[in-house]
Amino acid sequence: MLWACVLLPSLALDAALRGQPSLDRPFALVTGPAQQRRLVAVDARARAAGLAPGQRLAEAEAVCRDLFAAEYDARATRASLKLIAAWAYRYSSQVLLDPPRAVILEVGKSLRLFGPWPDLAQRLREDLAQLGFAHRIALAPNPRAARVLAGIADGTLVESVDALPQALARVACARAGLPGNTVAALTSMGITTLGALFALPRAALQRRFGKPLVTALTVLLGEQPEALAAYQPPDRFAARVDLGCEVKSHQALLFPLRRMLGDLAAFVAARDGGVQRFVIRFGHADRSSTTLAIGLLAPERAAEALFDVAKLRLEQAQLPQPVLELSVHADELPPFAPEARDLLDQRSANALPWPQLRERLRARLGEDAVYGLRADPDPRPEQACVRDAVANTADSTPLPPRPAWLLSRPIPLRDFAPRILAGPERLETGWWDGDDIRRDYYVLELATGQRAWAFAAPGERGPFMLHGWFA
Amino acid sequence: MSAPAYAELHCLSDFSFGRGASSARELFERAKRCGYAALAITDECSFAGIVRAHEAARDTGVALIVGTEVQLADGPKLVLLAADAAGYTRLCELITQGRRAAQKGTYQLARADLDDGLPGTLALWLPERKPTREHGTWLRDVFGERLWLAVELLREDDDAARLAELCQLANDLHIRAVATGDVHMHARTRRTLQDTLTAIRHRKTLVEARGLLFRNGERHLRRRETLAAIYPAALLAETTRIAERCTFTLDQLRYRYPSELVPAGHTPTSWLRQLTEEGIRWRWPEGEPANVRAQVEHELALIAELEYEPYFLTVHDIVRFARGEDILCQGRGSAANSAVCFALGITEVDPARINMLVERFISRERNEPPDIDIDFEHERREEVIQYIYQKYGRERAALTATVICYRGRSAVRDVAKSLGLPLDAVNKLSFALGWWNGETPMDERLREAGFDPACPILQRVLRLTRELLDRPRHLSQHVGGFVIADAPLATLVPVENAAMPDRTIIQWDKDDLDSLGLLKIDCLALGMLTCLRKTMDLLRAHRRRDLTLATIPAEDPDTYAMLGRADTVGVFQIESRAQMAMLPRLKPRCFYDLVIEVAIVRPGPIQGDMVHPYLRRRNGQEPVTYPSDDVREVLERTLGVPLFQEQVMKLAIVAAGYSPGEADQLRRSMAAWKRHGNVEAHRERITQGMLARGYTQAFSEELFDRLKGFGAYGFPESHAASFALLAYASAWLKCHEPAAFVCALLNSLPMGFYSESQLVQDARRHGITVLPVDVRSSEWDCTLENGVRDNFMPAAPGTDHPGREPAPIIVPGTILAVRLGLRLIRSFREDVALRIHAARAMHAFDDLADLVGRAGLDARDRKLLADAGALRGLAGHRHRARWQAAGIEPQRPLFGFASPGEQAIAIKPPATGADTIADYAATGLTLGAHPLKQLRAQLRARHCRPSRELRTLPSGSRARAAGLVTLRQRPQTASGVTFLSLEDEDGMVNVIVWQALAERQRRVLLQATLLAVDGRWESADGVDNLIAEHLYDYSTLLGTLDARSRDFH
Repeated sequence: MLWACVLLPSLALDAALRGQPSLDRPFALVTGPAQQRRLVAVDARARAAGLAPGQRLAEAEAVCRDLFAAEYDARATRASLKLIAAWAYRYSSQVLLDPPRAVILEVGKSLRLFGPWPDLAQRLREDLAQLGFAHRIALAPNPRAARVLAGIADGTLVESVDALPQALARVACARAGLPGNTVAALTSMGITTLGALFALPRAALQRRFGKPLVTALTVLLGEQPEALAAYQPPDRFAARVDLGCEVKSHQALLFPLRRMLGDLAAFVAARDGGVQRFVIRFGHADRSSTTLAIGLLAPERAAEALFDVAKLRLEQAQLPQPVLELSVHADELPPFAPEARDLLDQRSANALPWPQLRERLRARLGEDAVYGLRADPDPRPEQACVRDAVANTADSTPLPPRPAWLLSRPIPLRDFAPRILAGPERLETGWWDGDDIRRDYYVLELATGQRAWAFAAPGERGPFMLHGWFA
Repeated sequence: MSAPAYAELHCLSDFSFGRGASSARELFERAKRCGYAALAITDECSFAGIVRAHEAARDTGVALIVGTEVQLADGPKLVLLAADAAGYTRLCELITQGRRAAQKGTYQLARADLDDGLPGTLALWLPERKPTREHGTWLRDVFGERLWLAVELLREDDDAARLAELCQLANDLHIRAVATGDVHMHARTRRTLQDTLTAIRHRKTLVEARGLLFRNGERHLRRRETLAAIYPAALLAETTRIAERCTFTLDQLRYRYPSELVPAGHTPTSWLRQLTEEGIRWRWPEGEPANVRAQVEHELALIAELEYEPYFLTVHDIVRFARGEDILCQGRGSAANSAVCFALGITEVDPARINMLVERFISRERNEPPDIDIDFEHERREEVIQYIYQKYGRERAALTATVICYRGRSAVRDVAKSLGLPLDAVNKLSFALGWWNGETPMDERLREAGFDPACPILQRVLRLTRELLDRPRHLSQHVGGFVIADAPLATLVPVENAAMPDRTIIQWDKDDLDSLGLLKIDCLALGMLTCLRKTMDLLRAHRRRDLTLATIPAEDPDTYAMLGRADTVGVFQIESRAQMAMLPRLKPRCFYDLVIEVAIVRPGPIQGDMVHPYLRRRNGQEPVTYPSDDVREVLERTLGVPLFQEQVMKLAIVAAGYSPGEADQLRRSMAAWKRHGNVEAHRERITQGMLARGYTQAFSEELFDRLKGFGAYGFPESHAASFALLAYASAWLKCHEPAAFVCALLNSLPMGFYSESQLVQDARRHGITVLPVDVRSSEWDCTLENGVRDNFMPAAPGTDHPGREPAPIIVPGTILAVRLGLRLIRSFREDVALRIHAARAMHAFDDLADLVGRAGLDARDRKLLADAGALRGLAGHRHRARWQAAGIEPQRPLFGFASPGEQAIAIKPPATGADTIADYAATGLTLGAHPLKQLRAQLRARHCRPSRELRTLPSGSRARAAGLVTLRQRPQTASGVTFLSLEDEDGMVNVIVWQALAERQRRVLLQATLLAVDGRWESADGVDNLIAEHLYDYSTLLGTLDARSRDFH
């Protein structure tokens, strides 16, 4: 067997940056609790400015004033690695995930399909460049050796087991993926290369470092196979991009969207399927979101085709607010063959489940006509009634009764002699977002017999502004 | 119709942390403006803010009612008010009980705790939104006619309905109703800060906490007209009836010293007299000098007049205990440097030796409570604390609290977080505003940090930060201030748990105690005392030389000569770089010079611009003049320049007509002007007073500005004298017993200013042999062995300090060498070291396996020893030692430890550089060649000159030097100048980096471990500096050398 290791040396950076137009200033990813923010990864510009992973953010900013620092997103980085694995599945049925930043695939069998190694390697590199990942590729008779060699130099090629010891001899112990803390201990004894390590009696090594080191050596030299779990492609696709700033123009959304749909295309192609329906969700600053569901006439897997449809729909769509976050989901990934129907389907033709009914209503009445209501703990009435947003479970003190029907904006009350049933309830709050209110609210009975919720300026008993109706 | 009388009975100050948004002073001033009859401060289960409230009440004339709000775990929420002294005591006990039963910062009280009905208190029931009738009936049973139902109408729900409901309830249960306001702030404008505090308390942003905020700002001290429109008159009238029943004030508190220290048949006066006379005979076996006798009589009379005997007896008892346990201690403070304290052994500052000092420390007019801080060996202070607890019991002795207040950094951080700023922005803001005092405009700093000062969110951050600054945040434990009383403390002040297990603190801080005239004793920990005791122990063991602080020869010329050369690494207080720069200029020649030396290098004298005038006058470059004879008397000993806090107060008295009491107020307002009001208020007073006494406007203005700069950081002469004594003692030991001194210093770390590496290098430059850590001879501590003179630096006189040849070090008898102890190995454990020592005492180790077997070393111990090079004697170089140490297998019952027959393996030794790195990594120092020595050829090629050569250069020459950065310091007082210390194989080079260069080469300045500097060499008055012009980062030359810089930003 022959194994190719695809190493992604700047995976975290690529995962963060490939959805974005290119930056013109040093960039770094940071993480850690408030008191000890540290750099996780730095780009070439930042490295040139003297920054390095592990450095404290405060120190880095002192050194490099125009540093652009973004939060390291471990989830996105892992998702990117999975994406690469899904892509690799296209070229091999045996794909191994080697976190944090390598994917290893068996290519011995693939060569028959894709031609000799140089041709296959070329294809792999082209794809990876397309997807936007920096990479190194090495080939070796076992996955572990391929991984180690990829870490040393791009393009290393060792095809026979016999050539392995010599190829590995000059590799530093520190870069050989040896278990746990053995590297530090080996180095402290003056044993710094694999060559020196190979020369030592295995019994003496086992006594000092235990079985794992010896096992690692035998695996590396191919004397013993390694039990590795093969990668299984998922049956749904989800990708998410944090835009880092509020994006208003559709044009600016197209760039990351194209990237994500490219990923989707790569994903479905790898599983030899297509996508017929996917959802694009635009997240806004207030945690609400706008979704755009896109259905196709038939399963599709060409990146450009997906993008064209999405672009058309996006141009028609109204985005109420600037966008902070973009995600693409595809749960239905049908094969090209049509799905078989269940002969014994017992559902009545008229009884539609709620989601479907909702979608029908939306289709008839318009997207905005159907929505849910939820009480928000914000003390300001305008903010307290939220349309169909993500459920929010903040604590709250109990409030006096609120009208079921709240006007979207208060209007002057035309009744001149309302009877005060309750109040005032004074609301003075909301200053933190610049939208401070100061009002005295009353429950009023109007001449018409209706019960109204209305407010006046603090300390005043009119004129009233009508804000809601009690049922 | 005039507004009805009203007393607010339910009001939280900012000592209800995270709830109250106004200080007691703000509340009382507002209450006065609104014409309230009285104001209760009812902080939640706490009296921590009650003394401040008492002061504010006194100043505004609005009566204070002492109370507390408590929520019972199994019952209602209540306000409890102290009607009389018994009620106050009962509340102290109740709060103590609640606080002691729960973790720090919380409390736990239940119905059962109120079983006795809390005699002497009045209770207000705070019913819930839906009142629980059962609470009312239970409370009525407990409090009887001392119970009211508090009606709080806050325009939240329907006030009219609420009022009707509660009045009905009161009627049904036969409880009187009263109006209260649930006050959380003094005025409505504090609403934003109150919301912010709520969010901070819940650890949420304001948006997340939006449902938990008060919906309006009604919880303030509302005007009486407003209240009249909300409440029925009867409910308002009831408030003043309750207020009239609360007659207790804090002035009624009586504190008594512990009385058990006086044996039967004695009065405190006669017993202090007896102890003093015994002490005099001990101190002066041949009879005391006449002036000492006169001084003692004078002091005893004064002490008797002010009834301070129990205080001196208490201090004496603690010191006597320490002495009995062989714990070195030393008192300091206004009363400590008296003849009585010297006789009692509280201090070692001999009044005969510095007679001119004593008169000033106790004075009748000043009527200041005696103040004695006692420093103990830092490793043994805990024993003293346990003694105090054991002697007086935990009921009668407790630590005082320290009120931790919001400072620039913490305030801006909490505010910015609550406003939902992202983490990195919060960090940047807190960095930019870290030292903000809430006043100076910060726009420039903010723009520099990448913020737009005009944006509304930032405006909000700034406004709220300004409001939050200096507000109390939580109570913490004072470092060592004890309050000891005759009766259980909990009858006087609530006691609560501290963060440390088994520690309790009272709810008042030292200012509160001062304000009420309670006395405290500070028991502090001081590393130098540990070092001095260890030095003297070593001398007894190795030199048969029995010294004490009192018998170290006084006024030794060699010691002063050493100080004049700034050869003070390790010497107490005068070892810092700034002190070293001062010593050659001041050239102390007598003890009082040392007192000045200790006090002059402080932010106070530096900011007050007093250093240079003093030096010029001392060196005769400027005439010593006084504007009047009165001033001459105050300032003569410091050549007309005020250097000590006592002088400031005395000046205010003689030159500006302050009374002694007012002068004391001035001192306090300088020290903590946020609490007592602005020090500027004194400007008018001082200048007017001085003009009236014939001083010029210019002189009075100048004096005031100096005092202001000086104020907060002024150092009292009484403390300086005690510190100077320790400085002298350590200097004498360094001068005459350098090996024992450095050995003791190494055994007392961490302390002082220098790392173990710097201490060892300094010792070796003084010709002391230092031997490496070795399992064959090292103990846990560093020890003294017989040795020979080290040739580490062949002390070539004349090249090191040209023209300033070191005094020959007199070494009587044997030459001592220092053997480094196992304690220098980072993370090594003391018990393991003791096992090694014990095993070795049986017989020497045969080999590694023998050591491991007999001392029971585990893999970690072996690795640490191998890394430190301590196995050299048994296993050879580090690589081999590590290989062997790792190869020893765990003990098997029959065979013991063994390294089973292994074929020999060739392992090459580490390179010199790698060994050096390993030395630093394991022990923080190397006894091999200094890294810079190893790099010298490369540095020469880069035109860097060693420090030894620099010192031969004429002042003004240009030179390049390189060294390990051991210090980076940017003092607040030095307007942007950064001080660097570079260490090379010959010693230190002091570098000064001006702000412009620091900005330009920020990265190199902050990051370089090995730094090279092009600059101008300046040498004057025995002080050398390299003024940097360009910096180079040579760190890559070092590889990964683990030389840690100590940054003081």
